[in-house]
Amino acid sequence: MNEFNDNVAPKTETFVLNMGPQHPSTHGVLRVELDLDGEKVIRVRPIMGYLHRGIEKLLESRTYAQGSPFTDRLDYVSSMNNNYGYCHAVEELCGIEPPPRANYIRAIVAELNRITSHMVFIGSLANDLGAVTGMIYTFRDREEVLDIFDLVCGARQTYNYIRIGGVAQDIPQGFEEKVRKFLDRVPEFMEEYADLLNGNEIFNVRLKEVSVMTKEEALACNMTGPNLRATGVPFDVRKVDGYGAYPEFDFDVPVGENGDNWDRYQVRYKEILESAKIVRQALDGMPEGDFMAKVPKVLKPPKGEIFSRTEGTRGELGFYIVSDGTTKPYRVHIRRPSFISMQGLNPMCRGGLIGDAIAAFASIDPLMGEVDC
Amino acid sequence: MFGKGLLTGMRVTIGHVFGKKVTFCYPEEKLEMTERFRGGHLTMDYKKCIGCQLCAMACPNKALTLKATQDAMKKRHLTSYVHEMGRCLYCNLCVEACPTKTLAWDKNYAISSWHREDMNHQVLTDDDMKYLEKAMEDAKVAAAKKAEADAAKKAEEAAKAANDGGGAAN
Ligand code: SF4
Ligand code: SF4
Repeated sequence: MNEFNDNVAPKTETFVLNMGPQHPSTHGVLRVELDLDGEKVIRVRPIMGYLHRGIEKLLESRTYAQGSPFTDRLDYVSSMNNNYGYCHAVEELCGIEPPPRANYIRAIVAELNRITSHMVFIGSLANDLGAVTGMIYTFRDREEVLDIFDLVCGARQTYNYIRIGGVAQDIPQGFEEKVRKFLDRVPEFMEEYADLLNGNEIFNVRLKEVSVMTKEEALACNMTGPNLRATGVPFDVRKVDGYGAYPEFDFDVPVGENGDNWDRYQVRYKEILESAKIVRQALDGMPEGDFMAKVPKVLKPPKGEIFSRTEGTRGELGFYIVSDGTTKPYRVHIRRPSFISMQGLNPMCRGGLIGDAIAAFASIDPLMGEVDC
Repeated sequence: MFGKGLLTGMRVTIGHVFGKKVTFCYPEEKLEMTERFRGGHLTMDYKKCIGCQLCAMACPNKALTLKATQDAMKKRHLTSYVHEMGRCLYCNLCVEACPTKTLAWDKNYAISSWHREDMNHQVLTDDDMKYLEKAMEDAKVAAAKKAEADAAKKAEEAAKAANDGGGAAN
């Protein structure tokens, strides 16, 4: 009757741990199923859909102009870039050419938004690794840009500023001055972040050579944006496609070497400086003229389909729009970079420790609004 | 030296203990909203509104419900303008669509409420309603006057036609 047999060696079993959906380090509502062997991660499965709002369907029941406020709600940390992607797609579909001034304004606001988004990344990465104060520093400086956006379009997070054919309003008085003031401060606070984090031994140990992703793996997962560039592939839609005013600017595409957490952090860190460079050039070369092209009040694109891509903050943001010649799109599909980057979580975390899964997750910088759409 | 980075970080944080404050004491101090700030309730200059409903048509979420009436002079006036703030995206499309530029935001950011019904904001004020009553009365008077004038004109024309007719017969 005795079930305990001392002669049999103890057996281990894998253990399934649910992380989320309400976990502070999942940046929203995401459930991650971790298969564990002791402390070692065997497999990671992100389970999505907790924030699904059906934005693609919502866009199909609205006119083209009414669609842009909904794209704000995709990647709500960098709404300008989503607006840009959507409007760019509709413009290509209808053959509308935005005036040069609009392209410059777009580049400025999109790059400023990229800066704020990467600030949120640095802050939340520090937060997830236990350095709660790190978050406060980046959010303090992000405020400054949000104030500028408030001045430009009257909103701090859901801007709806970039519209089909241009931008909603011309830049207001005092805008340039404020942006220049912010740009002058960029090296100062970037140095502060570096002092705060880059030298920090714990930060280094947690990030360097942890959750390595090779070039091949990243490409196999279809990753784009900073996550791909961290593995050493210099792919940036701004350079490759050269849409808008981007071909006129001189900027570099920072790349990493190892594809570890540290590189993903460093690529974004350097991108802030590159974006600041673009904004400065755009301010210097701002052409005069209209800020809005002539767009018919009732927009009826010709029958057809378009896939258009722009460089969002988190990677290649694509909009696939099918038009049936009416005022509403027949089908909209959005290629959301965060969603696709999530596929890289498994190859990254496999074989690592459970604590590193959190760091890897933070270093991908996914945003749930975009993952679930 | 191990720990050097940590100490550098500490130095940064300690520096801020004695540095300038970046926050302030809400609600004792309040921020001024920017000129383009979108938020709070919609307001309108009732006299300028022509009841064209373009604002409601521009709204992506059907957050605006307008009721209009016609006065005796066939001019449209709003009798009700409900802004359902719970549905509103604060996208500014309604304000931009208005051809007479009568819509604006009141920039009140403290708009939370206890009940859902409180989120249905009636944009028209009592003064607007008084103005509407007066406009309806005025229109009636104007219409009566116009009818009188028309009748007089008609009679005159008829008389003239009769005269002309008489002349032709002769
Ligand atoms: S701001 Fe946008 S959602 Fe709100 S009422 Fe106006 S058009 Fe509708
Ligand atoms: S669009 Fe302007 S004028 Fe027309 S009904 Fe609305 S508020 Fe009145």
